[in-house]
Amino acid sequence: MEGQRRLKAAKVLLIGAGGLGSPLGLYLAAAGIGHLGIVDFDVVEFSNLQRQVLHTTPDVGRRKTESAAAHLRAINPEIQIATYDTRISSANAMELVRPYDIVIDGTDNFPTRYLVNDACVLLGKPNIYGSIYRFEGQVSVFAPSAGPCYRCLFAEPPPPGMVPSCAEGGVLGILPGVIGCMQATEAVKLILGIGEPLIGRLLLYDALEMNFREVKIQRDPQCPLCGERPTLHELIDYEQFCGVRGQEAPGAPLESDFEISVEEVKARMDRGDDFDILDVRNPEEWQICRLEGARLIPLGELPARMQELDPSRELVVHCKGGARSAKAVELLRQAGFVNVKNVRGGISEWASKIDPSMPKY
Amino acid sequence: MIRVALPVHLRTLARVNGDVTLDIEGAVTQRSVLDALEARYPMLRGTIRDHVTLKRRAFIRFFACEQDLSNESPDTPLPEAVAKGTEPYLIVGAMAGG
Ligand SMILES: [Zn+2]
Repeated sequence: MEGQRRLKAAKVLLIGAGGLGSPLGLYLAAAGIGHLGIVDFDVVEFSNLQRQVLHTTPDVGRRKTESAAAHLRAINPEIQIATYDTRISSANAMELVRPYDIVIDGTDNFPTRYLVNDACVLLGKPNIYGSIYRFEGQVSVFAPSAGPCYRCLFAEPPPPGMVPSCAEGGVLGILPGVIGCMQATEAVKLILGIGEPLIGRLLLYDALEMNFREVKIQRDPQCPLCGERPTLHELIDYEQFCGVRGQEAPGAPLESDFEISVEEVKARMDRGDDFDILDVRNPEEWQICRLEGARLIPLGELPARMQELDPSRELVVHCKGGARSAKAVELLRQAGFVNVKNVRGGISEWASKIDPSMPKY
Repeated sequence: MIRVALPVHLRTLARVNGDVTLDIEGAVTQRSVLDALEARYPMLRGTIRDHVTLKRRAFIRFFACEQDLSNESPDTPLPEAVAKGTEPYLIVGAMAGG
Protein backbone atom coordinates (compact mmCIF):
# COMPACT_ATOMS: atom_id res chain seq x y z
CA MET A 1 0.00 0.00 0.00
CA GLU A 2 2.83 2.35 0.86
CA GLY A 3 4.33 1.63 -2.55
CA GLN A 4 1.06 2.37 -4.30
CA ARG A 5 0.77 5.63 -2.37
CA ARG A 6 4.26 6.62 -3.51
CA LEU A 7 3.42 5.85 -7.11
CA LYS A 8 0.28 7.93 -6.82
CA ALA A 9 2.22 10.88 -5.43
CA ALA A 10 4.87 10.68 -8.17
CA LYS A 11 5.17 13.23 -10.97
CA VAL A 12 6.75 11.83 -14.11
CA LEU A 13 7.38 13.71 -17.35
CA LEU A 14 7.41 11.59 -20.47
CA ILE A 15 9.10 13.34 -23.37
CA GLY A 16 7.95 11.76 -26.61
CA ALA A 17 4.82 9.66 -27.10
CA GLY A 18 6.27 7.52 -29.87
CA GLY A 19 8.08 4.18 -29.91
CA LEU A 20 9.59 4.37 -26.43
CA GLY A 21 6.82 6.58 -25.06
CA SER A 22 4.18 3.98 -25.93
CA PRO A 23 5.22 1.15 -23.58
CA LEU A 24 6.35 3.74 -21.04
CA GLY A 25 2.95 5.40 -20.99
CA LEU A 26 1.03 2.13 -20.90
CA TYR A 27 2.97 0.62 -18.01
CA LEU A 28 3.33 3.83 -15.99
CA ALA A 29 -0.42 4.49 -16.26
CA ALA A 30 -1.19 0.88 -15.34
CA ALA A 31 1.22 1.11 -12.41
CA GLY A 32 -0.75 4.07 -11.08
CA ILE A 33 1.74 6.92 -11.48
CA GLY A 34 -0.34 9.78 -10.09
CA HIS A 35 0.80 12.60 -12.35
CA LEU A 36 1.95 11.90 -15.85
CA GLY A 37 3.07 14.69 -18.18
CA ILE A 38 3.35 13.90 -21.88
CA VAL A 39 5.22 16.11 -24.34
CA ASP A 40 4.88 15.56 -28.08
CA PHE A 41 4.21 17.85 -31.02
CA ASP A 42 3.53 15.18 -33.62
CA VAL A 43 0.41 13.57 -35.07
CA VAL A 44 -0.17 9.83 -35.36
CA GLU A 45 0.74 8.39 -38.77
CA PHE A 46 0.07 4.93 -40.20
CA SER A 47 3.78 4.23 -40.35
CA ASN A 48 3.99 4.75 -36.55
CA LEU A 49 1.60 1.94 -35.66
CA GLN A 50 4.17 -0.83 -36.21
CA ARG A 51 5.99 0.24 -33.03
CA GLN A 52 3.98 2.99 -31.32
CA VAL A 53 1.49 0.64 -29.70
CA LEU A 54 -0.11 3.37 -27.61
CA HIS A 55 -1.87 4.60 -30.75
CA THR A 56 -4.34 2.69 -32.91
CA THR A 57 -5.59 2.89 -36.48
CA PRO A 58 -8.53 5.21 -35.68
CA ASP A 59 -6.02 7.62 -34.08
CA VAL A 60 -4.20 8.29 -37.36
CA GLY A 61 -4.20 12.05 -37.91
CA ARG A 62 -4.83 12.77 -34.22
CA ARG A 63 -2.37 14.66 -31.99
CA LYS A 64 -0.17 12.10 -30.27
CA THR A 65 -0.68 13.79 -26.91
CA GLU A 66 -4.44 13.59 -27.32
CA SER A 67 -4.39 9.98 -28.48
CA ALA A 68 -2.00 9.01 -25.67
CA ALA A 69 -4.09 10.70 -22.99
CA ALA A 70 -7.27 9.01 -24.18
CA HIS A 71 -5.74 5.52 -24.18
CA LEU A 72 -4.00 5.99 -20.85
CA ARG A 73 -7.18 7.30 -19.19
CA ALA A 74 -8.95 4.21 -20.45
CA ILE A 75 -6.35 2.07 -18.69
CA ASN A 76 -6.37 4.09 -15.48
CA PRO A 77 -8.96 6.85 -15.00
CA GLU A 78 -7.45 7.67 -11.59
CA ILE A 79 -4.26 9.22 -12.89
CA GLN A 80 -3.81 12.88 -13.77
CA ILE A 81 -2.46 13.45 -17.23
CA ALA A 82 -1.08 16.75 -18.42
CA THR A 83 -0.45 17.00 -22.15
CA TYR A 84 1.93 19.44 -23.80
CA ASP A 85 1.26 19.53 -27.51
CA THR A 86 4.50 21.32 -28.29
CA ARG A 87 8.04 20.70 -29.46
CA ILE A 88 10.31 20.80 -26.43
CA SER A 89 12.88 23.54 -26.99
CA SER A 90 15.43 25.64 -25.17
CA ALA A 91 12.67 28.21 -24.70
CA ASN A 92 10.25 25.93 -22.83
CA ALA A 93 12.27 22.96 -21.51
CA MET A 94 13.00 24.37 -18.05
CA GLU A 95 9.34 25.23 -17.45
CA LEU A 96 8.20 21.84 -18.73
CA VAL A 97 10.64 19.85 -16.60
CA ARG A 98 10.55 21.90 -13.38
CA PRO A 99 7.26 20.60 -11.87
CA TYR A 100 8.23 16.93 -12.28
CA ASP A 101 10.25 14.53 -10.08
CA ILE A 102 11.51 12.28 -12.84
CA VAL A 103 12.02 12.79 -16.58
CA ILE A 104 11.92 9.96 -19.09
CA ASP A 105 13.65 10.57 -22.40
CA GLY A 106 11.67 8.93 -25.18
CA THR A 107 12.73 11.38 -27.87
CA ASP A 108 14.03 10.44 -31.29
CA ASN A 109 16.82 12.82 -32.24
CA PHE A 110 20.16 14.08 -30.98
CA PRO A 111 19.32 17.78 -30.44
CA THR A 112 16.39 16.88 -28.17
CA ARG A 113 18.43 14.31 -26.27
CA TYR A 114 21.10 16.88 -25.41
CA LEU A 115 18.38 19.40 -24.56
CA VAL A 116 16.59 16.99 -22.20
CA ASN A 117 19.90 16.00 -20.60
CA ASP A 118 20.98 19.58 -20.03
CA ALA A 119 17.61 20.68 -18.62
CA CYS A 120 17.63 17.70 -16.22
CA VAL A 121 21.18 18.37 -15.01
CA LEU A 122 20.50 22.10 -14.58
CA LEU A 123 17.34 21.34 -12.58
CA GLY A 124 18.81 18.32 -10.74
CA LYS A 125 16.20 15.86 -12.05
CA PRO A 126 16.92 12.21 -12.79
CA ASN A 127 16.69 11.42 -16.50
CA ILE A 128 15.80 7.89 -17.47
CA TYR A 129 17.52 7.44 -20.78
CA GLY A 130 16.62 4.94 -23.47
CA SER A 131 17.57 4.98 -27.10
CA ILE A 132 17.16 2.65 -30.04
CA TYR A 133 18.49 2.12 -33.53
CA ARG A 134 17.54 -0.66 -35.93
CA PHE A 135 18.09 -3.74 -33.73
CA GLU A 136 19.98 -2.21 -30.82
CA GLY A 137 19.09 -0.28 -27.72
CA GLN A 138 20.73 1.50 -24.81
CA VAL A 139 19.37 2.24 -21.34
CA SER A 140 20.79 4.16 -18.41
CA VAL A 141 19.74 6.45 -15.60
CA PHE A 142 21.43 9.82 -15.56
CA ALA A 143 21.11 11.10 -12.03
CA PRO A 144 22.70 14.49 -11.46
CA SER A 145 25.54 14.36 -8.91
CA ALA A 146 25.08 10.60 -8.37
CA GLY A 147 26.44 9.56 -11.77
CA PRO A 148 27.35 10.64 -15.28
CA CYS A 149 25.10 12.56 -17.65
CA TYR A 150 24.54 11.99 -21.35
CA ARG A 151 27.30 14.46 -22.20
CA CYS A 152 29.76 12.56 -20.00
CA LEU A 153 29.01 9.53 -22.15
CA PHE A 154 28.87 11.14 -25.58
CA ALA A 155 30.48 14.56 -25.57
CA GLU A 156 29.25 15.26 -29.09
CA PRO A 157 26.64 13.83 -31.43
CA PRO A 158 27.65 12.15 -34.69
CA PRO A 159 27.64 14.45 -37.71
CA PRO A 160 24.20 14.62 -39.32
CA GLY A 161 23.62 11.69 -41.62
CA MET A 162 26.34 9.48 -40.19
CA VAL A 163 23.96 7.54 -37.96
CA PRO A 164 20.50 7.51 -39.52
CA SER A 165 17.43 8.05 -37.36
CA CYS A 166 14.79 5.35 -36.95
CA ALA A 167 12.56 7.20 -39.37
CA GLU A 168 15.26 6.85 -42.03
CA GLY A 169 16.92 3.58 -41.11
CA GLY A 170 13.91 1.62 -39.92
CA VAL A 171 13.63 -0.09 -36.58
CA LEU A 172 12.47 -3.45 -35.31
CA GLY A 173 8.99 -2.60 -34.02
CA ILE A 174 9.39 -4.65 -30.85
CA LEU A 175 12.67 -3.00 -29.90
CA PRO A 176 11.17 0.16 -28.33
CA GLY A 177 8.91 -2.18 -26.36
CA VAL A 178 11.93 -3.87 -24.79
CA ILE A 179 13.82 -0.66 -24.11
CA GLY A 180 10.75 1.36 -23.01
CA CYS A 181 9.78 -1.35 -20.52
CA MET A 182 13.25 -1.20 -19.00
CA GLN A 183 12.97 2.58 -18.69
CA ALA A 184 9.57 2.14 -17.01
CA THR A 185 11.14 -0.38 -14.62
CA GLU A 186 13.84 2.12 -13.65
CA ALA A 187 11.23 4.86 -13.15
CA VAL A 188 9.16 2.71 -10.79
CA LYS A 189 12.31 1.63 -8.90
CA LEU A 190 13.37 5.25 -8.42
CA ILE A 191 9.91 6.22 -7.17
CA LEU A 192 9.74 3.28 -4.76
CA GLY A 193 13.37 3.58 -3.74
CA ILE A 194 13.96 -0.12 -4.30
CA GLY A 195 16.69 -2.14 -5.96
CA GLU A 196 19.81 -0.99 -7.68
CA PRO A 197 19.13 1.86 -10.11
CA LEU A 198 20.92 1.87 -13.45
CA ILE A 199 23.06 4.85 -12.43
CA GLY A 200 26.65 4.75 -13.69
CA ARG A 201 25.78 1.72 -15.77
CA LEU A 202 24.86 1.52 -19.43
CA LEU A 203 22.85 -1.44 -20.59
CA LEU A 204 23.35 -2.43 -24.22
CA TYR A 205 20.79 -4.62 -25.93
CA ASP A 206 21.28 -6.36 -29.24
CA ALA A 207 18.11 -7.97 -30.55
CA LEU A 208 19.83 -9.77 -33.44
CA GLU A 209 22.36 -11.47 -31.20
CA MET A 210 19.80 -11.48 -28.38
CA ASN A 211 22.23 -10.36 -25.75
CA PHE A 212 22.42 -7.77 -23.01
CA ARG A 213 25.74 -6.29 -22.09
CA GLU A 214 26.33 -4.03 -19.15
CA VAL A 215 29.19 -1.57 -18.92
CA LYS A 216 30.21 0.90 -16.25
CA ILE A 217 30.18 4.56 -17.10
CA GLN A 218 31.59 7.38 -15.03
CA ARG A 219 31.25 11.09 -14.69
CA ASP A 220 33.64 12.94 -16.92
CA PRO A 221 35.53 15.51 -14.86
CA GLN A 222 35.83 17.51 -18.10
CA CYS A 223 32.07 17.44 -18.76
CA PRO A 224 31.03 20.99 -19.69
CA LEU A 225 27.74 20.48 -17.86
CA CYS A 226 28.35 18.34 -14.76
CA GLY A 227 32.17 18.24 -14.61
CA GLU A 228 34.55 19.96 -12.24
CA ARG A 229 34.55 23.26 -14.10
CA PRO A 230 31.23 23.49 -15.88
CA THR A 231 31.00 25.98 -18.71
CA LEU A 232 27.36 25.37 -19.57
CA HIS A 233 25.04 27.14 -17.14
CA GLU A 234 21.99 27.46 -19.31
CA LEU A 235 20.37 25.82 -22.29
CA ILE A 236 21.95 26.42 -25.69
CA ASP A 237 20.96 26.16 -29.34
CA TYR A 238 20.84 22.38 -29.79
CA GLU A 239 20.16 22.33 -33.50
CA GLN A 240 23.32 24.30 -34.00
CA PHE A 241 25.23 22.10 -31.51
CA CYS A 242 24.19 19.03 -33.48
CA GLY A 243 24.76 20.69 -36.85
CA VAL A 244 21.29 19.96 -38.10
CA ARG A 245 20.05 23.45 -38.81
CA GLY A 246 17.91 23.42 -41.93
CA GLN A 247 17.94 19.62 -42.12
CA GLU A 248 14.59 19.06 -40.46
CA ALA A 249 12.26 19.12 -43.42
CA PRO A 250 12.47 16.12 -45.74
CA GLY A 251 13.91 17.08 -49.08
CA ALA A 252 15.57 20.16 -47.60
CA PRO A 253 18.66 21.18 -49.54
CA LEU A 254 21.80 19.48 -48.39
CA GLU A 255 24.32 21.70 -46.73
CA SER A 256 27.18 22.82 -48.91
CA ASP A 257 29.57 20.25 -47.43
CA PHE A 258 27.69 17.66 -49.38
CA GLU A 259 27.34 19.61 -52.62
CA ILE A 260 29.73 20.45 -55.39
CA SER A 261 29.37 22.67 -58.46
CA VAL A 262 30.03 21.45 -62.00
CA GLU A 263 32.86 23.99 -62.26
CA GLU A 264 34.52 22.48 -59.22
CA VAL A 265 34.13 18.96 -60.56
CA LYS A 266 35.74 20.04 -63.84
CA ALA A 267 38.57 21.84 -62.05
CA ARG A 268 39.25 18.80 -59.93
CA MET A 269 39.20 16.49 -62.95
CA ASP A 270 41.68 18.75 -64.70
CA ARG A 271 43.88 18.75 -61.60
CA GLY A 272 43.84 14.96 -61.65
CA ASP A 273 42.23 14.65 -58.21
CA ASP A 274 41.44 11.08 -57.24
CA PHE A 275 37.70 10.58 -56.82
CA ASP A 276 34.90 8.39 -58.18
CA ILE A 277 31.88 9.63 -60.14
CA LEU A 278 28.56 7.89 -59.66
CA ASP A 279 25.71 8.45 -62.11
CA VAL A 280 22.31 7.51 -60.64
CA ARG A 281 20.21 8.11 -63.78
CA ASN A 282 18.47 5.42 -65.78
CA PRO A 283 20.26 3.44 -68.53
CA GLU A 284 18.27 5.26 -71.28
CA GLU A 285 19.59 8.59 -70.04
CA TRP A 286 23.10 7.15 -69.81
CA GLN A 287 22.84 6.30 -73.53
CA ILE A 288 22.23 9.98 -74.35
CA CYS A 289 25.19 11.44 -72.51
CA ARG A 290 27.56 10.67 -69.68
CA LEU A 291 30.55 12.02 -67.81
CA GLU A 292 33.88 10.48 -68.59
CA GLY A 293 34.91 7.92 -65.99
CA ALA A 294 31.48 7.79 -64.38
CA ARG A 295 29.85 4.55 -63.36
CA LEU A 296 26.12 3.94 -63.58
CA ILE A 297 23.99 2.68 -60.71
CA PRO A 298 20.39 3.86 -61.15
CA LEU A 299 18.93 5.33 -57.94
CA GLY A 300 16.41 2.50 -57.60
CA GLU A 301 19.19 -0.08 -57.59
CA LEU A 302 21.49 1.82 -55.26
CA PRO A 303 20.38 0.33 -51.90
CA ALA A 304 21.00 -3.20 -53.17
CA ARG A 305 24.25 -2.35 -54.97
CA MET A 306 25.89 -0.11 -52.41
CA GLN A 307 28.52 -2.74 -51.68
CA GLU A 308 29.95 -2.12 -55.17
CA LEU A 309 31.15 1.26 -53.92
CA ASP A 310 34.15 1.90 -51.73
CA PRO A 311 33.24 4.10 -48.74
CA SER A 312 36.88 4.96 -48.16
CA ARG A 313 37.02 6.83 -51.48
CA GLU A 314 35.63 10.25 -52.30
CA LEU A 315 32.45 9.95 -54.29
CA VAL A 316 30.78 12.59 -56.49
CA VAL A 317 27.19 11.74 -57.41
CA HIS A 318 25.11 13.20 -60.22
CA CYS A 319 21.85 12.69 -62.08
CA LYS A 320 20.11 14.89 -64.66
CA GLY A 321 19.22 17.88 -62.49
CA GLY A 322 20.44 17.10 -58.98
CA ALA A 323 17.30 15.78 -57.24
CA ARG A 324 17.82 12.03 -57.60
CA SER A 325 21.49 12.37 -56.78
CA ALA A 326 20.57 14.32 -53.63
CA LYS A 327 18.51 11.30 -52.57
CA ALA A 328 21.42 9.03 -53.45
CA VAL A 329 23.77 11.15 -51.35
CA GLU A 330 21.34 10.89 -48.42
CA LEU A 331 21.19 7.11 -48.81
CA LEU A 332 24.95 6.85 -48.97
CA ARG A 333 25.44 9.09 -45.95
CA GLN A 334 22.97 7.00 -44.00
CA ALA A 335 25.00 3.95 -44.92
CA GLY A 336 28.07 5.62 -43.47
CA PHE A 337 29.72 7.11 -46.55
CA VAL A 338 31.18 10.36 -45.27
CA ASN A 339 33.04 11.67 -48.27
CA VAL A 340 30.20 11.96 -50.76
CA LYS A 341 28.98 15.00 -52.70
CA ASN A 342 26.02 15.85 -54.90
CA VAL A 343 26.68 17.65 -58.19
CA ARG A 344 24.49 20.75 -58.15
CA GLY A 345 22.35 20.99 -61.31
CA GLY A 346 23.47 17.56 -62.53
CA ILE A 347 24.55 16.69 -66.04
CA SER A 348 22.21 19.38 -67.47
CA GLU A 349 24.29 22.00 -65.71
CA TRP A 350 27.42 20.30 -67.02
CA ALA A 351 26.06 20.49 -70.58
CA SER A 352 25.20 24.20 -70.11
CA LYS A 353 28.36 25.38 -68.41
CA ILE A 354 31.18 22.97 -69.13
CA ASP A 355 30.55 21.03 -72.33
CA PRO A 356 28.11 22.68 -74.78
CA SER A 357 28.67 19.83 -77.26
CA MET A 358 26.92 17.43 -74.89
CA PRO A 359 23.36 16.57 -75.97
CA LYS A 360 20.63 17.94 -73.69
CA TYR A 361 17.40 16.12 -73.03
CA MET B 1 41.83 -14.27 -31.71
CA ILE B 2 40.14 -11.03 -30.66
CA ARG B 3 36.41 -10.48 -30.82
CA VAL B 4 35.18 -6.98 -31.60
CA ALA B 5 31.53 -5.94 -31.24
CA LEU B 6 30.55 -3.12 -33.57
CA PRO B 7 27.42 -0.95 -33.48
CA VAL B 8 24.79 -1.95 -36.07
CA HIS B 9 25.45 0.94 -38.45
CA LEU B 10 29.14 0.05 -38.62
CA ARG B 11 28.36 -3.64 -39.09
CA THR B 12 26.21 -2.58 -42.04
CA LEU B 13 29.03 -0.45 -43.39
CA ALA B 14 31.59 -3.24 -42.97
CA ARG B 15 29.04 -5.75 -44.27
CA VAL B 16 29.47 -8.17 -41.36
CA ASN B 17 27.05 -9.96 -39.11
CA GLY B 18 27.71 -10.35 -35.40
CA ASP B 19 31.09 -9.83 -33.80
CA VAL B 20 34.18 -9.39 -35.93
CA THR B 21 37.15 -11.64 -35.16
CA LEU B 22 40.71 -10.49 -35.69
CA ASP B 23 44.10 -12.08 -35.32
CA ILE B 24 46.66 -9.76 -33.85
CA GLU B 25 50.40 -10.22 -33.84
CA GLY B 26 52.19 -8.85 -30.81
CA ALA B 27 50.69 -6.76 -28.03
CA VAL B 28 46.91 -6.58 -27.85
CA THR B 29 46.13 -2.93 -27.21
CA GLN B 30 43.28 -0.67 -28.25
CA ARG B 31 45.54 0.76 -30.92
CA SER B 32 46.55 -2.63 -32.35
CA VAL B 33 42.94 -3.85 -32.33
CA LEU B 34 41.64 -0.73 -34.06
CA ASP B 35 44.52 -0.75 -36.55
CA ALA B 36 43.77 -4.38 -37.41
CA LEU B 37 40.06 -3.66 -37.65
CA GLU B 38 40.59 -0.74 -40.03
CA ALA B 39 43.11 -2.68 -42.10
CA ARG B 40 40.59 -5.47 -42.59
CA TYR B 41 37.63 -3.12 -43.08
CA PRO B 42 39.00 0.08 -44.64
CA MET B 43 35.49 1.50 -44.91
CA LEU B 44 35.50 1.89 -41.11
CA ARG B 45 38.36 4.39 -41.26
CA GLY B 46 37.18 7.73 -39.93
CA THR B 47 34.02 6.33 -38.39
CA ILE B 48 35.55 5.23 -35.06
CA ARG B 49 38.70 7.32 -34.91
CA ASP B 50 39.45 10.60 -36.57
CA HIS B 51 41.10 10.05 -39.98
CA VAL B 52 44.08 12.20 -39.16
CA THR B 53 44.60 12.30 -35.39
CA LEU B 54 43.39 8.71 -34.82
CA LYS B 55 41.63 9.98 -31.69
CA ARG B 56 38.38 8.36 -30.62
CA ARG B 57 35.41 10.20 -32.02
CA ALA B 58 33.29 11.90 -29.34
CA PHE B 59 30.17 9.87 -30.18
CA ILE B 60 31.97 6.51 -29.83
CA ARG B 61 33.11 4.73 -26.67
CA PHE B 62 35.25 1.66 -26.03
CA PHE B 63 34.57 -0.97 -23.38
CA ALA B 64 35.91 -4.37 -22.35
CA CYS B 65 35.10 -6.58 -19.38
CA GLU B 66 32.45 -4.02 -18.33
CA GLN B 67 35.08 -1.30 -17.98
CA ASP B 68 35.11 1.95 -19.90
CA LEU B 69 38.42 2.17 -21.77
CA SER B 70 37.49 5.22 -23.80
CA ASN B 71 39.96 7.51 -22.11
CA GLU B 72 42.69 4.94 -21.47
CA SER B 73 45.96 5.17 -23.32
CA PRO B 74 45.64 3.39 -26.69
CA ASP B 75 48.84 1.49 -25.93
CA THR B 76 47.80 -0.02 -22.60
CA PRO B 77 47.43 -3.79 -23.00
CA LEU B 78 43.80 -4.93 -23.09
CA PRO B 79 42.56 -7.35 -20.40
CA GLU B 80 43.67 -10.95 -20.89
CA ALA B 81 40.08 -12.09 -21.43
CA VAL B 82 39.96 -9.81 -24.50
CA ALA B 83 43.37 -10.94 -25.75
CA LYS B 84 42.20 -14.55 -25.45
CA GLY B 85 38.90 -13.84 -27.16
CA THR B 86 36.69 -14.91 -24.25
CA GLU B 87 35.42 -11.35 -23.79
CA PRO B 88 34.72 -8.98 -26.70
CA TYR B 89 36.12 -5.52 -27.19
CA LEU B 90 33.04 -3.31 -27.42
CA ILE B 91 32.77 -0.33 -29.72
CA VAL B 92 29.63 1.53 -28.74
CA GLY B 93 28.12 4.40 -30.68
CA ALA B 94 25.65 7.11 -29.77
CA MET B 95 22.14 6.46 -31.05
CA ALA B 96 19.10 8.69 -30.77
CA GLY B 97 16.10 6.75 -32.05
CA GLY B 98 12.96 6.47 -30.00
ZN1 LIG C 1 28.14 15.25 -17.54
